[in-house]
Amino acid sequence: MKANKQEITLCPGESRELVVVQDQPGLAEQEAEWKITLPEGASLNMVFLSLQGTVHNRIDVSLEGPQADCRLSGLYLASGDERMDYDILLTHHVPGCRSEQLFKGLLTGRSVTHFDGLIRVVPDAQKTEAYQANHNLLLSDDARAHTRPQLEIYADDVKCSHGATVGRLNPEELFYLRSRGIPLTEARMLQQLAFVGEVLERISSQEQRERLQTRVEERLRSAF
Amino acid sequence: MNTLLNIENLHASVGDKEILRGINLAIRPGEVHAIMGPNGSGKSTLSAVLAGRDTFTVTEGSVTYEGRDLLALAPEDRSWAGIFLGFQYPTEIPGVSNVNFMKAAVNEQRKQRGLEPLSAGQFLKLMREKMAYVEMDSSFSSRGVNVGFSGGEKKRNEIFQMAMLEPRLAILDETDSGLDVDALRIVASGVNRLKRPDNAFIVITHYQRLLDYIVPDVIHVLYKGRIIKTAGKELALEIEEKGYDWLIHESE
Repeated sequence: MKANKQEITLCPGESRELVVVQDQPGLAEQEAEWKITLPEGASLNMVFLSLQGTVHNRIDVSLEGPQADCRLSGLYLASGDERMDYDILLTHHVPGCRSEQLFKGLLTGRSVTHFDGLIRVVPDAQKTEAYQANHNLLLSDDARAHTRPQLEIYADDVKCSHGATVGRLNPEELFYLRSRGIPLTEARMLQQLAFVGEVLERISSQEQRERLQTRVEERLRSAF
Repeated sequence: MNTLLNIENLHASVGDKEILRGINLAIRPGEVHAIMGPNGSGKSTLSAVLAGRDTFTVTEGSVTYEGRDLLALAPEDRSWAGIFLGFQYPTEIPGVSNVNFMKAAVNEQRKQRGLEPLSAGQFLKLMREKMAYVEMDSSFSSRGVNVGFSGGEKKRNEIFQMAMLEPRLAILDETDSGLDVDALRIVASGVNRLKRPDNAFIVITHYQRLLDYIVPDVIHVLYKGRIIKTAGKELALEIEEKGYDWLIHESE
């Protein structure tokens, strides 16, 4: 299958928000590729929601002008035999840019996800700020989340961090919720919604956010 | 009057370690029972077993609540039956707001009783009314459950939740620990407002201090997983004065 490829280049000083929703069922791999370029003072807030299907997303971001600012967020809900992969390369080519990534995965069934995220900071790109986090929750014994956050830093005056976790629903929270009369399935749902909320909050339009929140909840209730 | 809760020869363990070693306790509607005892005597284990925490295994004995086998019920079933545990260490739940948490809890209780869910307006009114019981600021409702709350705020949140759910049997596990005098007074007055002839309280505490505010009908002293002494409220003063050693010697 031919990859769906998009090039996105912002104008200097432009601010843009993009929300990508992947909501096609099926196990045939849907490949998609984004090549994103941010010139001076450009600011991008991009949110990926992979709600079902087998997806392979390649995201390549270049920060090419000073004071460019990129926030990438993603949520992937993988169930059954689905596979969801994110390959991200984010390059700080010039000094004084900022990037922040937050990707969260909820997995159930026998699904498998891969998060492969590389932040590269070239030798001249001093005063870079770059952060990346990938958190996964496994809701079944057979689901597998692979995560590989990486930093390649060639400048010495930078603030960078990355972190990754793979875990399960917190049993203490679950007991607390149930002790107040919230039944097991509903308590688990509250925990899952709390987990995904951090990504959905990044959608600034209230109307769009609420609509997608409803859709995410539908997916969780039907497949998780 | 009928017994609300009847505990008979209750034994419970964590792994190989037996913590409760034969508890007998009967509680009737309208009563306030205090459970005191040194650290590690099993006070918190008893409250956890009654609320249905699965880290403990009951190995012997029975607990009957309103004539039902309490131990056979899931934690949410116990809540629907009117049992409430005030946690010693309330759990923080990031991402779930206090208001959504309580709305889910209250409406689930109503559903179990065959009642319609409350409208948004009715719910907010109820929430405001009960928050006033514990002098909680309304800004707490939009915050994550217990997230970033001080020790005193967490305990007030427990009493607020109790006021929302109006339990028949409330078990307060060291609700006074870590509270200054003002917070203690607020928590105690919240409890006193909820006292009715048809409900009961088990108040677990280390200190006599709380019992100045919440006056118990009976005091039990728990030691090494057994109740070694049961007496009236004056026992608390004696313990405050002389500690637990004399009781331990007496029982051995």
